[in-house]
Amino acid sequence: MFDLLWVEFKRSWINLRRYPSEFVGGVITLSLFFLLLYLGARYLAGPGANFGERTEAILAGFLLWTLTLFAYNSLSFGLSEEAQTGTLEQVFLTPYGPIPLLLLRNLAGLGTQLLLIGSVGLVLMWFTGARLSLPPLVFLPILTVLIGGYGLGFAMASLALLFKRVQQLLGISQFLLIFLLQYPLESEGWLRTLGYFLPLVPGAGLARGMMSSSAGLDWGALALAFLNGLAYLALGIALFSRAVHTAKRRGLLFGY
Amino acid sequence: MDGVNLHLYPGEVLAFLGPNGAGKTTTVKMMAGLLYPDGGQVRLLGKNPHQDPWALRHLGAMLEGNRNVYWRMTPLENLVYFGVARGLRLREAQRRALELLEKLELKEKTHTEVRHLSRGMQQKLSLGVALMHDPEVLLLDEPTLGLDVESALRVEEMIREMTQSGKAILLTTHQLEVAQRLAQRVAIIQRGRIVLEGRTAEVLARFAGEHYLIELDTPLSPQQLAALRSLGLEGQGPTYVYQGDNEGLWRLLEALKPLPIKKVARAEADLLEVFLKVVNHV
Repeated sequence: MFDLLWVEFKRSWINLRRYPSEFVGGVITLSLFFLLLYLGARYLAGPGANFGERTEAILAGFLLWTLTLFAYNSLSFGLSEEAQTGTLEQVFLTPYGPIPLLLLRNLAGLGTQLLLIGSVGLVLMWFTGARLSLPPLVFLPILTVLIGGYGLGFAMASLALLFKRVQQLLGISQFLLIFLLQYPLESEGWLRTLGYFLPLVPGAGLARGMMSSSAGLDWGALALAFLNGLAYLALGIALFSRAVHTAKRRGLLFGY
Repeated sequence: MDGVNLHLYPGEVLAFLGPNGAGKTTTVKMMAGLLYPDGGQVRLLGKNPHQDPWALRHLGAMLEGNRNVYWRMTPLENLVYFGVARGLRLREAQRRALELLEKLELKEKTHTEVRHLSRGMQQKLSLGVALMHDPEVLLLDEPTLGLDVESALRVEEMIREMTQSGKAILLTTHQLEVAQRLAQRVAIIQRGRIVLEGRTAEVLARFAGEHYLIELDTPLSPQQLAALRSLGLEGQGPTYVYQGDNEGLWRLLEALKPLPIKKVARAEADLLEVFLKVVNHV
């Protein structure tokens, strides 16, 4: 399995090294997207508006959203592309089974995605003057968000496997991620209770609190966030496994 | 598919033939565990690939020609990747990849991105991917399509070597002369049903029927030919065809006396003839 992780990592690194224009394009697009939102919001708020420390929180939220987005849609994009180029069947011929292989592929892709997001973070810090100093422990709730994101990614990949063309749906649903990452878990009553059952919400709420108000890590909340992330990962994998079965029954693994 | 029953044996090539849409690819994909059959089962060395993915360790498949490899990676990277994905250790995959690149005459292109290779080279690389983990069973879909003459002969030679080393090979192809040269057994599928199956030599002999080729040193004159047509001689010469039983053949040879005969031989059918007869008959 370690060898498989290594060749998956190498595959992802080769794509990055051999096609640097895609990497640079990604950094420019994501940076421009943030700057347009950020400068647009400042323009609308008027010349007296000052985001102050909020800029750091907004930037951290944006980077978390981008990371979650990669976890969410890279599998679906990958499957659609492989169905189009014809390598999907060879991937499904692995004796490890497609799900372990795709899990490792997600893990291997994380390295290049972190590199991309790190580069975007540096560019944006330089542009906005914001300084991000993340406490190391914040990576734990971020990890729970990623795990949940991969779960949603597997669920979306089920649709990609069965219907192939899901780019439109992916485009629209990524805004749902903003809602989940910004869900007001700090509120009281049923809204708070509901939040613990929604995907990504517990981990995102915890990470946001640690990043914006320098709150310490609540280990109980972290355990709940892990539970939430793992539950959605298990659900996503179960749906994907079902989709693989259906695709094999209906002959949908090939063709595009 | 309807009642398809196929066996692959070690050290044997089974040519799986049929017109477009007959069910060849569907059958191959069922064998590879990529498509569930509504009924029946697939066994790879006793294991069911639909229930036990590790059964796929025994199977190598070359499907849809050059659409089996990553175009952004080099041949070496592709072979190592798929070798490990099939269960090889990294070091073993690297060693095997170099060995196969040499065998497939792709050594010079070891570090060239696949998208820059010719179609034939991509095709050979696809074969390499199927062979990486040295599987006991191989499903080869049109392995020689699009190859130049030399490469096609090299691939044929490799298939022969694999057969000698005990591999069981299912070969689907429309190049019937290739199938005839390589296959010990042949199966023809038509509209989802196996309409003919048997040992290649026996099938060819069965379809050859009572045809004899008679070659003379010089062509017959129109008068001689007109006289001999009543005895069953056909054709324009100097090679003629006789269709009929043994007794009739002797009568004809008697009538040809004293003309110099170069050769008398029983006509052999080829797989193309068999294929056309079977497919058009069903």
